[in-house]
Amino acid sequence: MFWQQLINGITLGSTYALIALGYTMVYGIIQLINFAHGEIYMIGAFVGVVAVTVFQLNIFIALFVAMTVCIIIGVSVERIAYKPLRRSTRLAPLISAIGVSIFLQTLMTLIAGPQAVGFPQVINDQLYHIGSVTVSKVQVIILILASALMVGLQLIIKYLRIGKAMRAASEDYDTASLMGINVNRVISFTFALGSALAAAGGVMVGMYFNSIHPLMGVMAGTKAFCAAVLGGIGSIPGAMLGGLFLGVAEVGGVALGYGGYRDAIAFTLLILVLLFKPTGLLGRPIQRKV
Amino acid sequence: MDSLLTNYISPYYIKIFTLVGIYIIIALGLNFISGVTGQLSFGHAAFVSIGAYTAAILTTRLQLPFLPSLLVGGLLAAVVGILLGFPILRLTGDYLGIATLGFGEIVIVVFQNMDITGGTIGLSGIAKNTSLSLVVLVVIFTIWSMYRLENSRFGRALMAIREDEIAANVMGINITAYKIQAFGIGTFFAGIGGGLYAHMIQYLNPTDFGFSRSFEYLTFVVLGGLGSIPGTILGTTVLTLAPEFLRFVAEYRMMIYGALMVIMMIFRPRGLLGGVNLSKKIRALKNKKKTTIPSDAR
Amino acid sequence: MSELLKIDNVTINFGGLTAVDSLNMTLTEGNIRALIGPNGAGKSTIFNLVTGIYTPSKGRIIFRGQIINKLPPHKITGRGIARTFQNIRLFSELSVIDNVKIGYHCRSRGSFIDALLRSPAIKREEAHTHERALTCLALMELADKAEEVAGNLSYGEQRRLEIARALATNPALLCLDEPAAGMNPIEKEKLANIIRKIKEMGITIFLVEHDMKFVMNLAEKVTVLDYGKIIASGTPAEVQRNPAVIEAYLGKEVV
Repeated sequence: MFWQQLINGITLGSTYALIALGYTMVYGIIQLINFAHGEIYMIGAFVGVVAVTVFQLNIFIALFVAMTVCIIIGVSVERIAYKPLRRSTRLAPLISAIGVSIFLQTLMTLIAGPQAVGFPQVINDQLYHIGSVTVSKVQVIILILASALMVGLQLIIKYLRIGKAMRAASEDYDTASLMGINVNRVISFTFALGSALAAAGGVMVGMYFNSIHPLMGVMAGTKAFCAAVLGGIGSIPGAMLGGLFLGVAEVGGVALGYGGYRDAIAFTLLILVLLFKPTGLLGRPIQRKV
Repeated sequence: MDSLLTNYISPYYIKIFTLVGIYIIIALGLNFISGVTGQLSFGHAAFVSIGAYTAAILTTRLQLPFLPSLLVGGLLAAVVGILLGFPILRLTGDYLGIATLGFGEIVIVVFQNMDITGGTIGLSGIAKNTSLSLVVLVVIFTIWSMYRLENSRFGRALMAIREDEIAANVMGINITAYKIQAFGIGTFFAGIGGGLYAHMIQYLNPTDFGFSRSFEYLTFVVLGGLGSIPGTILGTTVLTLAPEFLRFVAEYRMMIYGALMVIMMIFRPRGLLGGVNLSKKIRALKNKKKTTIPSDAR
Repeated sequence: MSELLKIDNVTINFGGLTAVDSLNMTLTEGNIRALIGPNGAGKSTIFNLVTGIYTPSKGRIIFRGQIINKLPPHKITGRGIARTFQNIRLFSELSVIDNVKIGYHCRSRGSFIDALLRSPAIKREEAHTHERALTCLALMELADKAEEVAGNLSYGEQRRLEIARALATNPALLCLDEPAAGMNPIEKEKLANIIRKIKEMGITIFLVEHDMKFVMNLAEKVTVLDYGKIIASGTPAEVQRNPAVIEAYLGKEVV
């Protein structure tokens, strides 16, 4: 029972982690809570459905298509709605992000209708039994894909030139730009990475729950954001840990009979972490400079 | 009063204007917290819901008169705001925003799981006690209070906290105490607005008070001009009426609304009336009067 | 003359770093005491300790015979210690006069209920605050800028406004953190005169400064700090002759 819930929790948590990474990377560099990020995830799921149903594509190609489309949308959103506001007050880009979020939600509602859309069963429902634990093929695929994407992200950030530039910009934005790093390119790249991961998360959630909805990004996005804060906003391993932690806590909470409070679990954890370790589980301490 | 008005204005417009008024009360409360004191709140709608449910439960289940119920709703919202303020107002900036967002969502889930609130089905059968004239009176009272609060020793302390917490502290201001008071006052007006809202819409559902709503209130304030009373009033009015005026574009209206938010932020990042301070304008006018007297005498 | 402030064996650690190490210092009432030392010597840290922003890891701070090192900053201000900041921290979007009025916060009353009711007593209090603020501004030669936004003042004016705001708290001890930084010689001379005037009002002055010349003409006693420890203390003339000071602070080429 415990191991079963743990596996289910990790599956859910890995999708939260994929979305949380986008929040945390963007926040790390431009200190913006990108509230439109949940919508990118939602669009990713819809592109995935269209790819497998209308174009009859293989699910992995569909995943790739969804990621590509979301990269384009994510980067464009940054260019149009955030870039002009980079040197303005802190709240202006936040409001702009909320505007984008409303825009994309309504756009998708107009295109797909306000009802939930079924995600076709693309993976057969084969089950694997390991002792008392049952794992479905979808779960295995989600876990493998999510791990692969996260390892890939780590490699990009560690070894690629642009990845190093990202780390530098997140350490100290102004110094990085003075050092000749093209900050605009770094920011675009960050949005691209985040959007691709969110799109992958969207397609996976579609595969897992077989149902997607134009408003699915709102709650998932907010919870993923909680996950990013739980782990320590700005920290990439933190977002992964936070996502997994949140997934396990939620599934565990439901298993213990608190189903009605499912949505409150994430937020309660969030407040507790903020009160006792405001910088999150893996966040760096803030120094108070006088 | 309202029945008199209906002779001249269609009930539809009375409804819209009443709603604008209620939102102004709520948004001014938020402006007090975020604009004047500088404490980011993403959970304002939760305090609106506390006021709304409290007042509605008092009038429907306990048959209490409307006005005292309204007041109790506001006070309860303030009490919850103060109790929450103690632990979380230590946080600053985005972290405070996130914590209030989390709190707001918890309130929604709690209301969904309570019997007395009608749970997820919602609370219906609330009497229509809110009239446009009452709302106008409360709006006037709110503006008056805000104006007086801002232009006082108390208000200066709050603005000092917004500008620089450490300097304010060193100037002798007990930061936590003042933040909590500001939070209590802001959430009080949220609660009053909530009670008025409940007795206008006559039906409450927890999902109507989620963070999307909180962000809507924040948008009213920021788009109008954070920290400015006339800005908040203007922002609230424009944004509440916008979807109504955009009705001709039918289903596209929320899309246009979202796009407008982005465009307005790009062109006026400090809001429509950002940097415009009503009290300063009035003071400047007063000073002008003083200085013009001798020149008249000349 | 009696002692006003006593820093008694105070140590503060940040992580592994000891910023101030077993420091002893006594300030005499009515004097100007200067604290000098190279960058990172711990001068501003001492101000942060005295004004309650930091709490000492060890030791006591005694002001007018009472231990204050456990009090929060706003209470310490109430006891009569005011300060300015090295990196100007004005309420920059507020008017100049409002900045000073905020300084008078701890000497006035008025809750939010008073703000709403505006009783005659509160109106009198407001009028008094206004007058008091104008007096402080006049002393710092800023009276004509009262209605301007603080952030729009020139650098030198902002430094003076910081002093005006600190004076409004009605302090017995005024801590000035590099008040002359970034000023030209004429402005510095003007500032020195203002500081003397403040001293004549009976306010003790604790001064952190980089500019040796400025300090030497002003202070009765100079304390030199290096790596969180006092390396010399005495009259300006004595300190200037001290070889340890010359080595640590003035640099060898001066010799």
